[in-house]
Amino acid sequence: MNRFWQQAVLSPLRELGQQAISSLSSLMGMLILVLLGLVVGWLAKELVYRGLRLLRFDRLCDRLGVGPEIERLGVARSCSYLAAQVVQGIIILTALLAGLNAMRSPWTQNLVERVFLYLPHVLAALVILVVGALASRFLGRSALIAAVNARMPSARLLSALTRFFVMTLAVVAALDELGIGRTTIIVAFAILFGGLVTAGAIAFGLAARDLARDLLQSQFRPGAKQEAENTLRHL
Amino acid sequence: MTEDILKESVKDELSTVGPVEIIVGIPSYKNARTIGHVVKAAQAGLLNSFPDRKALIVNSDGGSKDGTPEVVEQARIDAHSLLLVSHPLYPVHRLTTPYHGLPGKGSAFRMLFRIAEVTQARALAVVDADLRSITPEWLNLLLQPILALGFDYVAPYYKRHKHDGTITNSIVYPLTRALYGRRIRQPIGGEFGISARLAGHFLTRDVWNTDVARYGIDIWMTTTAIAENFKVCQSYLGAKIHDSKDPGSDLSGMLVQVVGSVFSLMENYESMWRNVLGSLPAPLFGFPFEVGLEPVPIDVQRTFASFQQGVRDLLPIYERVLTPQQVKDLEAYAAESIGRFVLPDELWVALIYSFALAYHRRVFDREHLVKSLTPLYLGWVTSFARQTENETSAQVDDRIEKLCLVYEQLKPYLINQWSLKTGEKRCEA
Repeated sequence: MNRFWQQAVLSPLRELGQQAISSLSSLMGMLILVLLGLVVGWLAKELVYRGLRLLRFDRLCDRLGVGPEIERLGVARSCSYLAAQVVQGIIILTALLAGLNAMRSPWTQNLVERVFLYLPHVLAALVILVVGALASRFLGRSALIAAVNARMPSARLLSALTRFFVMTLAVVAALDELGIGRTTIIVAFAILFGGLVTAGAIAFGLAARDLARDLLQSQFRPGAKQEAENTLRHL
Repeated sequence: MTEDILKESVKDELSTVGPVEIIVGIPSYKNARTIGHVVKAAQAGLLNSFPDRKALIVNSDGGSKDGTPEVVEQARIDAHSLLLVSHPLYPVHRLTTPYHGLPGKGSAFRMLFRIAEVTQARALAVVDADLRSITPEWLNLLLQPILALGFDYVAPYYKRHKHDGTITNSIVYPLTRALYGRRIRQPIGGEFGISARLAGHFLTRDVWNTDVARYGIDIWMTTTAIAENFKVCQSYLGAKIHDSKDPGSDLSGMLVQVVGSVFSLMENYESMWRNVLGSLPAPLFGFPFEVGLEPVPIDVQRTFASFQQGVRDLLPIYERVLTPQQVKDLEAYAAESIGRFVLPDELWVALIYSFALAYHRRVFDREHLVKSLTPLYLGWVTSFARQTENETSAQVDDRIEKLCLVYEQLKPYLINQWSLKTGEKRCEA
């Protein structure tokens, strides 16, 4: 009876207790790691924010055109603050994942492993989006100024289209990096892009034959272009 | 200077020629049509005005494939036809050599400065290879102030049609004058006289791998000479008729090259121009005579349409560069009919100062910034052409003088705003 009592009741209870203690210590470990992550993250945010302000990071972003865009979208109060928040987020996320890993359950360990494997793709996609946004802004402005200086009537439309295409390209590349709907997105983009180019070519051919002739003439017969050009001598 | 830009073959030729007193430099690129005339005029000028001085004509070429160096070699004048008062003591030597470094006029000048240094020349005259109106007297006018009067830098002074050189008249001359306090009427003229001292000084500057080597040499030399207190003067050369400088370059490209260079030099000489208010005339040599000028027609409908489109389509850009009041004023003027359109000098100068400030603060890409000035400049051209339609040359000169005074009057605004940081609120001019 005593043996039965030992095997059937006390031993499972002991194991349960040990498991509970182990789980509690893992949970405590996770909580400590997350708390540590929060504190270190906050400290890192303050440090990065102040450091970037000292290095005039906001001025650089303003020059690149990112600053006004961040302000316009209301994402953050400044680029330095946004960068500091990103650092804080990464530290907290890392602490959270380390905490989950400390739980030592197969499910959490599997989740952590998958997140860590996926994280580089997320970062690469973010970089692609940021570079794409900068490039679309720069090229859009180039197209706008060049089109206005060439007296093209739909300069703003051309600029908007340039920005749209560059940004679309960046989004497609980012989604491809993340492995989201890879084939569908590429096919959709190819159809959209091909369709627009064809439509543009047909529209140009039908509606702007004279312009096309003038453009070709100016390229291959510069004398003819000069005759048409204003005779101003600026220098 | 660590690297020597002269090839051994050039050094050999120079050692054969020996020391000279005068060098006439002719930078060229595909100027076979006109350079023969320029070489002959230079040779005649040297024989006429400096018969007792040893001289060398140097063609610094950018790799022309149209036979430019051959034309230079073959260009000869008949000394008997010149009716020389004195018999020349030395023959005029000549040398054609491709220049070394970045492709551009500045690299050609660097080569000329170096040759002047090696040959111990006292004075250097540089003339464009595309000139059609050069006469032998030009050499005397560019060199004599250096050799006889001790000047370091001789800028040209031309008679030009009232609508010729609108970038020079609207921005380069008045802005350079207001900034550095000297009235050099043609700061980017193309023809210059330079003393050995100044040429040597230019050589020591670390600019030969920058835009100065490519296209900004004219304004860089003028600004450096004035800002660094070299003795500067002007010589009246009459009319300047030449082949089109660069038919391929568009207006916005020209603005980037010229106005971008002026803005860029403002950074280098900030400490100098911030202490200058007003301006002083630079001595003018030569006899100002009247010349027939080729008219320069302006299609004001077209320039005004460009201005209106620019104000409409580039507004988001202007809002980042200009003050709210300037943007409001621009919108109001762009809404006018062409018959009533006049851009006030005060607004024009405030716009240029705002662009200079935006360039200084790198509000956005500098090339974009200067290119976006194009429609506003065409607005000024429209206004100027309308106002001067029936004016004489003297009246137009007065008008430009008035514009220069506005640049000088508004300069304190530029000085005050220059030190403000990017985020700080700017006040109106």
